Amino acid sequence: MQATRSLSEYRKKSTFIATTVFLLPVFFFILIFIIYPIIDSFWLSLHEWNGITSGKTFLGLENWKTLMGDKIFFKAFLNNMIIVVLSIAIQLPIAMAIAFLLDTGGKKLNFLKMIYFLPMLMSSVAIGFLFKYTYDPQFGLISAVDTMLGGEGMIDVLGDPRRAIFGVIAVVCWQFVPFYMVYFLAALSSLPVEIYEASIIDGASYGQYFWKVALPSMKGTIKSAAILSLVGSLKYFDLIYVMTQGGPDGATELMATYMYKNAFTIGKMGYGAAVASGMFIIITVISLVTLRVINGKEEA
Amino acid sequence: MKKVIGKTLSAALALAMTVSIAACGSGNQSESSSSTSAASSSAATTSSVASGDPVKLTLWHIQTTEPMTSNIKADIDRFTKDNPKYSVDVEAMQNDAYKTKLKIALSSNTAPDIFFSWTGGPMNEYVDADKIVDLTPFMEKDNYKDRFMDAGINQATYKDKIWGVPVENTSVAMFFYNKDLFAKYNLQVPKTIKELEAVCDTLKKNGIIPFSLANKTQWTGSMYYMYLANRIGGADAFKNAAARTGSFEDESFKQAGTILQEWVKKDYFNKGFNGLDEDSGQSRTLLYTEKAAMTLMGSWFLSTAAGENKDFMSKVGSFPFPAVEGGKGEPDAVVGTVGDNFYHIAKTCKDPEGAFKAIQYMIDDTAIQKRIEAGRVPPVKGVKVSDPLLQNVLDAVQKAPSVQLWYDQYLSPELSDLHKSTTQALFGLSKTPEQVDKEMEAKAKELAEKN
Repeated sequence: MQATRSLSEYRKKSTFIATTVFLLPVFFFILIFIIYPIIDSFWLSLHEWNGITSGKTFLGLENWKTLMGDKIFFKAFLNNMIIVVLSIAIQLPIAMAIAFLLDTGGKKLNFLKMIYFLPMLMSSVAIGFLFKYTYDPQFGLISAVDTMLGGEGMIDVLGDPRRAIFGVIAVVCWQFVPFYMVYFLAALSSLPVEIYEASIIDGASYGQYFWKVALPSMKGTIKSAAILSLVGSLKYFDLIYVMTQGGPDGATELMATYMYKNAFTIGKMGYGAAVASGMFIIITVISLVTLRVINGKEEA
Repeated sequence: MKKVIGKTLSAALALAMTVSIAACGSGNQSESSSSTSAASSSAATTSSVASGDPVKLTLWHIQTTEPMTSNIKADIDRFTKDNPKYSVDVEAMQNDAYKTKLKIALSSNTAPDIFFSWTGGPMNEYVDADKIVDLTPFMEKDNYKDRFMDAGINQATYKDKIWGVPVENTSVAMFFYNKDLFAKYNLQVPKTIKELEAVCDTLKKNGIIPFSLANKTQWTGSMYYMYLANRIGGADAFKNAAARTGSFEDESFKQAGTILQEWVKKDYFNKGFNGLDEDSGQSRTLLYTEKAAMTLMGSWFLSTAAGENKDFMSKVGSFPFPAVEGGKGEPDAVVGTVGDNFYHIAKTCKDPEGAFKAIQYMIDDTAIQKRIEAGRVPPVKGVKVSDPLLQNVLDAVQKAPSVQLWYDQYLSPELSDLHKSTTQALFGLSKTPEQVDKEMEAKAKELAEKN
């Protein structure tokens, strides 16, 4: 009796040691490349540093106080929220619709899968350049289409502070719909064929199958897609920086572009770090709350 | 039992791997520390360098368009041929990426030995942080500095010392216009703002956009603002405001902003300018397609346009920014930079003397000749050009009683960023001139108090 117990204990212990040893290298990498930079940028946010001098001046919470009263940061945060809401509201339904279409369409639509996935294969910078020209009021595609339809053309999207953010969001959606499409496609095709066959035998239409069978069984996938979209939108940077640099007059400023501007353009590294840390806190809190809300509903 | 042995074995293996990774890291570290100690020891004993040991220098620049890239390479090749103990690693980078890369390199003390930078705010920052070498003794040796236009040397001077060598180009902003269009509508080159506005009105009536502008880039719109402020308030208005002996709420800035907004309201600029990008040529396309007639741009416009659209160049004319009636500013004053690409030597350089020699090859007579051929005006005295457009640029500089460095380079990075974004807001009519001036003044005050 005692012998077996100690053996199982011994085994447990050796498993523990083995796991620890195996995880140790990974832990080191996480420590060096994730944990340390986060802590370091928090530390940097307490300083004033122009990015060039060797010495940093300790400021205490000065940068954080400025951040609390910073109207531009607040506006950037609001812009991020607009992107969050519109991204989820536009990208996910479209992606779902395309995914369902492709899934029920069978093999003959395989070439469409390829075509729809193309935007995902382009780099954000290339997409930015592409749409910079598409939106050009004189020579761009949008103006050309408007002239063809009998309008005056000269439609100014990116230069108009009221329109710029929506113009940019449209491109972001164009870029990310394929990602969620693939995501949903995978979920759809992993639904058991039996369920599909059973509902067809029971006389369900495609619409009924979609709304009553497929969609409910994909709840988990949709939730994680929403979380992905949420976090992605909150830290969005590259495409918008290429297209507008946060302009005109701050109309498309995001938290990340504001951080970049402060740290690297203006040379206020400390304040840039404060913005980055602020972003980190905001994103963490929002993600945790959303996860709670979503999962809480599931349990109820 | 076997399993246990297997597990311990694998555990040991994993441990060995971790240790080896750690060892790798420390190995690298010791290597790098030994190399830095070598560097410092060689810096301490410059005599060994002088005795003819091979020296490797690095050089960073942003001349990524031909023929400038190969020109610089050829200059440096001549240098290494004449001074065989040197080898130079030349690296060309894109403008915007360069700014960030340089900053990181300087702060981590891995800066290249020779590098280009802008003067004004950024250079002063490097000086204050003790990152670049004082070039005064080199420049004063044999009166080498007299080779350069005075305005260029002035621009590289900070705290009564010379920190950089003006090399690339004399770039002043002036109007470039389409001569064909002017002839077609019987227009004369305007001498005053009133005349300019009359020209614009005629062009507008004929469906031609007067000014092409891509102002996502922000410094493009700033050119109009700088010139207007300069013509109205004189060169001192801005200088005093920046030095805090004057104010950004000075009347001249307000008037400049007001005129700008009038022009915007009268549709003198192309539509959507605040979303267009100068770097990717969205404003020049308007000129090439004859949809627009004029643009206010730095004189690098000539080499850029020649590279992009050779045929168009036969139609291009230029004239200086017109005078403002009743303005205090001298009508011959220019906004721009005499040097445009100043080369500095990093404090970390082991052999500043050699580095300075290398820079000299980039602005010796052969190099100057090649720059002129490439459509540039080197910032040296007595330079002779045959192209009438280049001659115009040269005339403007030589006649100019003052050269106002671009605001965004003159001001500290923070104030410069505010200037650019508020000017963009002015153009977008989302802020009034008063609001903009108030914001500039408040920020300038705040920064002055901090120091």
